[in-house]
Amino acid sequence: MAILEVQNLTYTYGSDAIFIKDAVSDVSFSIDEGEIVGIIGHTGSGKSTLVQHLNGLLKPTNGKIFIEDNNIWDNPKEIRKIRSKVGLVFQYPEYQLFEETVFSDIAFGPKNMGLQGEELEKRVIETCEIIGVKQEYLQKSPFDLSGGEKRRVAIAGVMAMRPKIIVFDEPTAGLDPKGRQDIMEIIYNYRKATNATVIIISHSMEDMAILADKLLVMNMGSLVMFDTTENVFKNGDKLREMGLNVPIVTRIFDVLKQKGLNVPDDVFTVERAVEVLKKLKDGERNA
Amino acid sequence: MLRDITFGQYIETKSPIHKADPRVKMVLLILVVVLIFLAQSMYGLLLSLAFVSMVVLVTKIPLKTYLKNLKAVLPIILLTSIINMFYGDNDSGVLLEVWKLTITYGGLYRAVFMALRIVLLIIVSSSLTYTTTPNDLTDGIEHLLSPLKFIGLKSAVHTLALMMTIALRFIPTLVEEAEKIMNAQKARGADLESGSIIERIKALIPILIPLLISSVRRAYELAEAMECRCYNGGEGKTRMKQLKLTSVDFKIMAVTLIYGVAVVLINIIL
Repeated sequence: MAILEVQNLTYTYGSDAIFIKDAVSDVSFSIDEGEIVGIIGHTGSGKSTLVQHLNGLLKPTNGKIFIEDNNIWDNPKEIRKIRSKVGLVFQYPEYQLFEETVFSDIAFGPKNMGLQGEELEKRVIETCEIIGVKQEYLQKSPFDLSGGEKRRVAIAGVMAMRPKIIVFDEPTAGLDPKGRQDIMEIIYNYRKATNATVIIISHSMEDMAILADKLLVMNMGSLVMFDTTENVFKNGDKLREMGLNVPIVTRIFDVLKQKGLNVPDDVFTVERAVEVLKKLKDGERNA
Repeated sequence: MLRDITFGQYIETKSPIHKADPRVKMVLLILVVVLIFLAQSMYGLLLSLAFVSMVVLVTKIPLKTYLKNLKAVLPIILLTSIINMFYGDNDSGVLLEVWKLTITYGGLYRAVFMALRIVLLIIVSSSLTYTTTPNDLTDGIEHLLSPLKFIGLKSAVHTLALMMTIALRFIPTLVEEAEKIMNAQKARGADLESGSIIERIKALIPILIPLLISSVRRAYELAEAMECRCYNGGEGKTRMKQLKLTSVDFKIMAVTLIYGVAVVLINIIL
């Protein structure tokens, strides 16, 4: 069942005649419940503008957005309710921390939804379990944490609202490899715990290959491809034209293929690569 | 919403006034403001109107843009004129009498006079910010303040000018940052649009604290970047763009002086 449906979404920047520019033009797609969808595209391709429509931060110039079959702009006064259904984690979310303790910062979102007392406390603690923030951290100031920890807490602040759809705008930007992996695990764990639908903007094709069921490719404000991750990554040339690429491992296998090795063209993750190479080695041994 | 805050309203039209030296423009602006106040008679004011109209024409910036600036001070203009309306001398003939208040022809004249004077002041002042980039403005201020060096404030002048330049430079950055933070908090269900005044002020805390923290962080980063490039204060620093008086400046000075002499003459003769 489609939990999110976007119909002919167009967003135009600037009211002055000089600055008019379509940041997003005529984009339509629908996402099923529980799917993990990656959004990839060159810088300035309209990814961030697109996701800010999903929770009603931006109002489309044209087109409609349906969450669970309800047009979100049917009742503009109720738009805040959409924000607890669709959580949006911005780039560098650690810059939005403001409370005195980690606990109250994570509680800010659910509190705005009307949660109180024990229920609120339970919600915060549950969220911490999902993302792996230790209990003793809850009374610390968020500003005493390390960069990676701050980001976890900030992400927890959105997750604590238990959105059915959660959108991440480059969640791993500026983190070291360990930090990136941690964030990816958090996203995976949240989905496992809540069966939420996940949308991730990322520049890391490797992360997308591991995590995403489907990929949505944006170029100059338009939707170019929306297909399963395998099908999108099979179009390497088309992606390269738009300043994107396929995972490194796939590039290696392309070269192997050109050198005359008989390898399949659906190798997108290191795991799969190991599997294929092992098979190849066994085959040689048998021959 | 935040984008409406325009600071440094520079508009490029390549007019002679744009090319003029900021120091000249600033000194002349002060002179013109004084002259507009000096013009006590209707003739003096009409002359000022002619002068300001000429400035507007020369800048090639549409009158509409100038009038936009008036909107904000409209209450002040109205209040001044209304109060002045009741202060005319009674011999000029009574126009209207309501209860204990009388409006005379003289009062009405005063009201119009005052309103026109404020309008002229605002238009001529905005012509400076329209035609001068914020950087040129601070450059000019630094030069104009340079006499302070002689009373023991040697480095203060440069430091002050630098602070102003940095402040101006970071206004758009901070506006952008504030918008980002607002969106992030809205995404967490923050309600910025409804509630009582106290609730609304409270709702600003989640925006102001991160904004303050990021400003401090930016300040540290900027200081580090400047030190890495061996910045160590203003002593002996030369500039890339030297301010120099050109023929345009002398022409503008001449026209303004003619206007000034005329205003003074009108005051003496009438």
